[in-house]
Amino acid sequence: MNMDIDEVKERAGPQEFSPKDDLPEEYRKAATRMLEFHANSEIMGAYLERPFIRKAPSLERKMAFSAKTQDEIGHGQMLYRAAEALGVKTRDEMLDDLAEGKGKFLNCFHYPMESYVETPMIAFFVDGAAMRRQATLKKSSWEPYAHAMDKICFEEGMHVKHGESILRELMNGSKKEQQMVQEAFVEWWPRILQFFGPTDDQSTHHDFAAEVGLKTCTNDELRNAFLNRYMQKAKDYGLEIPEYPRIRDNGDGTYEVVEDDLDWDEFFTVSKNEYSGSIEQINSRAEAQEAVEWVREMMDNQETTGSSPTPQAAD
Amino acid sequence: MATATPDLGSPDELSEREQRAVEAQLFRLADDEYVQAERYTFWQVRAPTLESDLAVANNSQDELGHARLWYEAIQQFGYTEESLLFESDPDDFQHSTLVELPFEQGDWADAIVRAYLYDVAEYIRLSALEESSYEVIRNRTSRIQGEEDYHIEHARSWLERMVLDKGATERVQEALERHYSHALTIFEPVGDVEEDIEEFGIRKMTLEEMRAEWEDRVDGFLSGLGLDVPTDADVAQPTGRDNEHTEHWADLFEEMTSAYRNLGRDEATVIMDENDE
Repeated sequence: MNMDIDEVKERAGPQEFSPKDDLPEEYRKAATRMLEFHANSEIMGAYLERPFIRKAPSLERKMAFSAKTQDEIGHGQMLYRAAEALGVKTRDEMLDDLAEGKGKFLNCFHYPMESYVETPMIAFFVDGAAMRRQATLKKSSWEPYAHAMDKICFEEGMHVKHGESILRELMNGSKKEQQMVQEAFVEWWPRILQFFGPTDDQSTHHDFAAEVGLKTCTNDELRNAFLNRYMQKAKDYGLEIPEYPRIRDNGDGTYEVVEDDLDWDEFFTVSKNEYSGSIEQINSRAEAQEAVEWVREMMDNQETTGSSPTPQAAD
Repeated sequence: MATATPDLGSPDELSEREQRAVEAQLFRLADDEYVQAERYTFWQVRAPTLESDLAVANNSQDELGHARLWYEAIQQFGYTEESLLFESDPDDFQHSTLVELPFEQGDWADAIVRAYLYDVAEYIRLSALEESSYEVIRNRTSRIQGEEDYHIEHARSWLERMVLDKGATERVQEALERHYSHALTIFEPVGDVEEDIEEFGIRKMTLEEMRAEWEDRVDGFLSGLGLDVPTDADVAQPTGRDNEHTEHWADLFEEMTSAYRNLGRDEATVIMDENDE
């Protein structure tokens, strides 16, 4: 039976809706937007980190970077599947949009990452921030999303440990290493704070997503939870929290980040895929994907003509 | 070939000559796997589909894991990961030149052809080591062999698929012609130690026997797919086994050691428990 929005809002609860439900377009579009953003972010995060498989300064670190990159592609695969089940867009459409610069993804993955000391900025802080948000998505009203998050959260936990291990090692290293990490931290910290987006009164999509159970926490709640844990962690490892952007401790487990200290013009340029780093990341990945288009065409042709000898094994 | 040779015992029981022969066998195993894995990771987040990306990542990590096992066996003779992988010179390495050649963006046929040529050789080599007189090699070989089986199957199924497509077949044929003579370097000697390797029973086949079996298998399968196998190709020079490499290796090695150098490290991190093998 075709459900209307009022019924969706009334029933909205953890894992309430599945592909069996005939959901209104507004819900399906909102859920697709979230899932597509999340899946795209996994892919673009993997793309950003991939050079460090080769550069990492030990054999086992190389293995860990390779495994992390693989996990992220696997997460992308699961999330696109959960998105496809909403019937709004196919995986190919979402991947094409990503290659063409139309697909949106996390702000932190729009910045270049040149040095090994930057890797824990992603693998510890950004992944740690992502964990906060993702844990709440196990209660998403879209059941396939919630199920995907069970597996993804477990693996993200491993990634944060990997990032923390690298951070710990660097901060226990030479003076030079510690300085390099501190410089990277100063550069990345504002981006990490912006991970959670603007404060709630400026967020446009939140109300509806919350009402239909796609979002179970506000940006402010997530930012507070993150700051409570990670500011202390950063200090414990010997990092100095930059003076700006100012963060006011309310003394009750909540914080206020002074929004004017953050560059929101840059944030919105990033979120429109128009930042120089966005263009660089998107285009170089698109080029790599374009270069293997012939393989995908070959596979598509074989699927339609049924001439593939072992369609299952050849992936 | 040598049949019943006495077990060589543990690392500290080897004579100087035996140790030299064991090391020579281990270095090529380790270096081949390490560099093959490194090049293979080029395809991570660059493979044609998410599914093929995951498969490539699996194979890369398998090979890195094998390299780790072999380097660890070498370290039992007192070497360190730092001295072997990060503070060494490019010409300390003895891998075949096949595994060091760079990939062209988009040349997925190259990735598959190279993997196939290498994996078949690797499989034959491991078979020749299953009953090695050196226990450390014997034990590790049996753990690795199962994964190599899967790698060959992966490459074969892609090849079977690509030869059904005219454009893809041309790419496969080109890659085959480019790489065949480099693949032959896998069976080249590292010096005058080969006879000892055979005499001590460290490896149960000669290089010539392994090459002949590889040629049989590769030619049989690829010709069966309608490909033209350049069986009269000469061995590429330099061979890599002689510590001389193509110009591509120095660049790759530079990148692989860049963070270690930039950070001024003198230690490579071990994450896993040493006994967790």
